[in-house]
Amino acid sequence: MDPSASGIQEPFDLIRLSLSERVFVKLRGDRELTGILHAYDGHMNLILSDVEETIMIVDTEGAPDGQGTVNVAKRRMEMLFVRGDGVILVSPPSRT
Amino acid sequence: MSSLQGYVDRRVLLILQDGRAIVGVLAGFDQKSNVVLSDSKERVYSIDEGVEEIPLGLYLVKGDMIVLIGELDEEIDQSVDLSTIRADPIPPIRY
Amino acid sequence: MLIFSVFKTLTDQQVTVELKNDLSITGVLKSVDQFLNIRLDNIKVSDEARHPHMMAVKNCFIRGSVVRYVQLPAEHVDTQLLEDATRREAVSQAKR
Repeated sequence: MDPSASGIQEPFDLIRLSLSERVFVKLRGDRELTGILHAYDGHMNLILSDVEETIMIVDTEGAPDGQGTVNVAKRRMEMLFVRGDGVILVSPPSRT
Repeated sequence: MSSLQGYVDRRVLLILQDGRAIVGVLAGFDQKSNVVLSDSKERVYSIDEGVEEIPLGLYLVKGDMIVLIGELDEEIDQSVDLSTIRADPIPPIRY
Repeated sequence: MLIFSVFKTLTDQQVTVELKNDLSITGVLKSVDQFLNIRLDNIKVSDEARHPHMMAVKNCFIRGSVVRYVQLPAEHVDTQLLEDATRREAVSQAKR
């Protein structure tokens, strides 16, 4: 096996190396997830466990200068399949 | 194919991408889940008035437009007085 | 293919499918195909008072492309198996 194969050569390698780690996922529709990554495929379909979802709801109603307020809704899910077409980015755990 | 075969000749409810709800008898379907409904009607939901049924007759719906196909339990469906139902239309699919 | 196989192992389990029109449907997974179209039995729509549209529907076919999430029964998902299978699939994809 090519020794460089264990490193990062292409974008999906970054996701592969995040398996069984907590990842951050940004989705369409102002949604974000964190969860432990257990599976993915080439469509960026994902299976995550111990998931926390954050939905940003921008309320522009009755805002004087188009500012609006942002409401944040959170919920937890034990095991979740995420369809890849909604995925904007997958980011490995921060190593700080 | 997670097949639609079991639904042929049954009365079904179709929910479309734009939120429309159509009921009819499933006359046929293909690989791309294009479907043909006979004796179909659109059910128009509104929060201010009861459900309005608009006859559409024989209808072909492109698979891409379909969100969901549900088998109607005729007994339950007929026991519901649609004129008493108040509900917002189903939201359209976003993105 | 991997995700398709995962869903196949979950047939006859209860799942909750969340659609991109914000409808959430819980039911027993009866079948799935390569497009991840899903058939559910014995369904229940969340917040039925607001969504009476499907009152008379007992089972349904959901088009894969409109799925946002599927909540899976965690006790029936072998995460170690999933990660191994994902790594295997990643390697075989890279060889192509």
